[in-house]
Amino acid sequence: MMAPALSNFLRVIRAPLAAILLTLALGFLLVASITDEPVRAYRDLLLANFDSLGNFALFLNRATPLTLIALGVVFSFRAGIFNVGGEGQLYAGAVTTTVVAIAGASLPAVVLMPLAIVAGFLAGAVIGWIPGVLKVRLAVDEVVTTLMLNIIILLITSWLANQVIRDTTAYGAVSWMVPSSIWLPPLPFVPRATSGFLVAAVLAVVSWVVLFRTQWGAEVRAAGTNLRFAEATGVPAARRVISAMVIAGGLAGLAGALYVLGVGHRFEQNFSPSYGLVGLTCALLARVHPIGSLATALFYAAMLNGAAYMQISTDVPRSLVNLLTGLLVLLMTARLRRAAQAA
Amino acid sequence: MRDPDIILSLAGIAKSFGDKAALSHVDLDVRRGEVHVICGENGAGKSTLMNILAGIHQPNAGSIVLNGKTVTIADPIAASRLGIGMVHQHFTLVPSMTVAENLFLGRQPRRLGIFSDRRQMIERARELIARYNFHLDPEAPVRTLSVGQRQRVEILKALAFDADLLILDEPTAVLTPPEVDELIGVVDGLRARGRTILFITHKLREVKAVSDRVTVIRHGRSISTRDTADVTEADIARDMVGREVFLVGRKGNAQRSFGAPVLTLDSVSMTNHAGRRLLDRISLQVRAGEVLGIAGVDGNGQTELAEAIAGLMPVQAGKIRFGDRDLTDADLNERQQAGLGFVPEDRLDRGLSVTMSVAENVAATNYSRAGLLSGGLINRQKLDGFAGEKIKEFDVRGAQPATQAGWLSGGNMQKLVIARELERDPSLLLICQPTRGLDIGASEFVHARILQAADRGRAVLLISSELSEIFALSDRIGVMYSGRMMRVLDRAEADEETVGYLMNGGSKEAA
Repeated sequence: MMAPALSNFLRVIRAPLAAILLTLALGFLLVASITDEPVRAYRDLLLANFDSLGNFALFLNRATPLTLIALGVVFSFRAGIFNVGGEGQLYAGAVTTTVVAIAGASLPAVVLMPLAIVAGFLAGAVIGWIPGVLKVRLAVDEVVTTLMLNIIILLITSWLANQVIRDTTAYGAVSWMVPSSIWLPPLPFVPRATSGFLVAAVLAVVSWVVLFRTQWGAEVRAAGTNLRFAEATGVPAARRVISAMVIAGGLAGLAGALYVLGVGHRFEQNFSPSYGLVGLTCALLARVHPIGSLATALFYAAMLNGAAYMQISTDVPRSLVNLLTGLLVLLMTARLRRAAQAA
Repeated sequence: MRDPDIILSLAGIAKSFGDKAALSHVDLDVRRGEVHVICGENGAGKSTLMNILAGIHQPNAGSIVLNGKTVTIADPIAASRLGIGMVHQHFTLVPSMTVAENLFLGRQPRRLGIFSDRRQMIERARELIARYNFHLDPEAPVRTLSVGQRQRVEILKALAFDADLLILDEPTAVLTPPEVDELIGVVDGLRARGRTILFITHKLREVKAVSDRVTVIRHGRSISTRDTADVTEADIARDMVGREVFLVGRKGNAQRSFGAPVLTLDSVSMTNHAGRRLLDRISLQVRAGEVLGIAGVDGNGQTELAEAIAGLMPVQAGKIRFGDRDLTDADLNERQQAGLGFVPEDRLDRGLSVTMSVAENVAATNYSRAGLLSGGLINRQKLDGFAGEKIKEFDVRGAQPATQAGWLSGGNMQKLVIARELERDPSLLLICQPTRGLDIGASEFVHARILQAADRGRAVLLISSELSEIFALSDRIGVMYSGRMMRVLDRAEADEETVGYLMNGGSKEAA
């Protein structure tokens, strides 16, 4: 029982692993051509994250929103929806959690904390629901609607941050702090890491179970791979697609909520360095697999943070990471295409 | 040895893709001026062989002798230079261009070397059409033509290059019965003009109707070449399958008694968004233990009838009853609960999700019914066990529970769909085009399953545009034309002539 499961798992991760190793090897040649200390640069890129508990905490904090957004993308893609609205859903969740936390500051923490988190989830869910319904009922292209919603949400949240919940004593467009009583506790043994990471890791496993071990998940995937087949087997296909989008948005919203409560402790305009897009890339690199998405999100987080350390200690610019990312995507798609042609 | 009558001679042709041998040893002699049928089941290697002749694939071994000279056919251009014209199963025409433009695509007559000379092009197209008596308008856009007419354009395109040897790859697969007859007439005409024709098919009736000689290919080997006049359909079928074939059928004379009506349609009408009538007051009844066959040329409302009964498309008027229950407005799920098993007409469109596994496809409608859930979760072992059972019971070849459904051949995909729908032992089996694109072995199997269901007292509604299938299986035959049920005939009063007459809307002219 265990052996086939293990070999199956190895088969799944073999291709992405090979692509990552090849990318790193090619990247090393590049680094060697611009710096005298290529080994040092590469060590920092890959390993500086683990030099200190502090660095390690920052690494986990970075991986948390990436994982959650990637999981959301997995749900929507499995339902056949090309959801590129992770960024908007993230901001909607973050700002809603902040507003609820500030407005309900007088409530006891045991009430306010779940309330704020649920509010963030729901806000993202609503932003996911809109393109889902438009797609299913009116066949409106979801790429357009999710992209446009990103812009709308970004502008609304920055208006809120500037005009409504702005901390007038602070510099920059940031909101008031949320009450410290509802800050997420740190991870055990890693003082500055958010326990949101645990939530993300658990949800990765839960997502896998839901998508691949429940009838609901099978129905979502049936609708996502062949809507007309799903209908012909009695699946309420439209409903399944919409609920998958609600969950997708909700997970991205949850990423925003946990960021505010665990890391930022307030809403900051432009707090996300394109987590939405990076999360999407993580999900695609993991071939839309929940557990794989956790792995790719960790890899991305390591690269993003490692690049900063590398830039500090050597003269290699951090934008090297963008180049490596591009290379990785290229190699992965090349593989996918070959696999598709073989089939 | 050198026979001047032999236009093409293949010896020991072999071809493999990767480690899979598509052809292992094919010998073939084609005489000048004959119609030679290549016959074989799906996957026997017919298409590979033709693609070698058309220059698309190169053989790994063997020789090709054309007009007494050994040749290599490097690419399709070389093939046409050698006088080999190929008509593919899937058309290669530009729908928005006219017949003449399609015929001369890439080789238009020129004036002063640059301007295309439309008048000359149309004139030459007209001559070509007249020479072969094809009744086509050279200035009609191809998109306005029927499938049969498009095929004639394809044939003309090959002939315009002065092909001595014309290859028709499964030309009847896309045609309706009257169009098949017309094509056979076209082929006869070409033979009369001295052309040599290689005709690929797996339909036995056509072999007898069209050919002078027939070569059977099985598992990549040429099995036999015989004069068509000397063989029976059963002989060919035996060579194709490699064993005795039992062509099952309802024994027409046996006295049968049927039970109560399982499905009743009462004046059901359906209109599309544009207001066009798709179904026009259809009434019918299927009784327990009975096979009701619905014949008709594709596109006369059969698809809509199936979707209406399955609950996938709403009807505007009339009643649909399962037993005594009115399920006119029920969704598919409710109808399944009420005893519907539904095999859609297109396994790739509605029948399967080709990117999901065999196990998930066969379990799709059966999770709770077959006890595949434990504690709300899918039990992987039970799921695989269930799929393994179905694979064995329905002889789905090349399938493991975890195999992607899309990797199976058409016949095995179809078995998968039927396995899923029969699992519930439905009281009404609605089965559409059950053997479309299937080879003899698979068709035989599917037909036996349909009759088994009827013998167990289930009601079967069989919708098919394959007349031989309707005649072989049905107790009663309904004929649809233009959204109407022309008549429902008892098997005894239904003969090909009457049914064909009704299929054309009751007019004597062929459509």
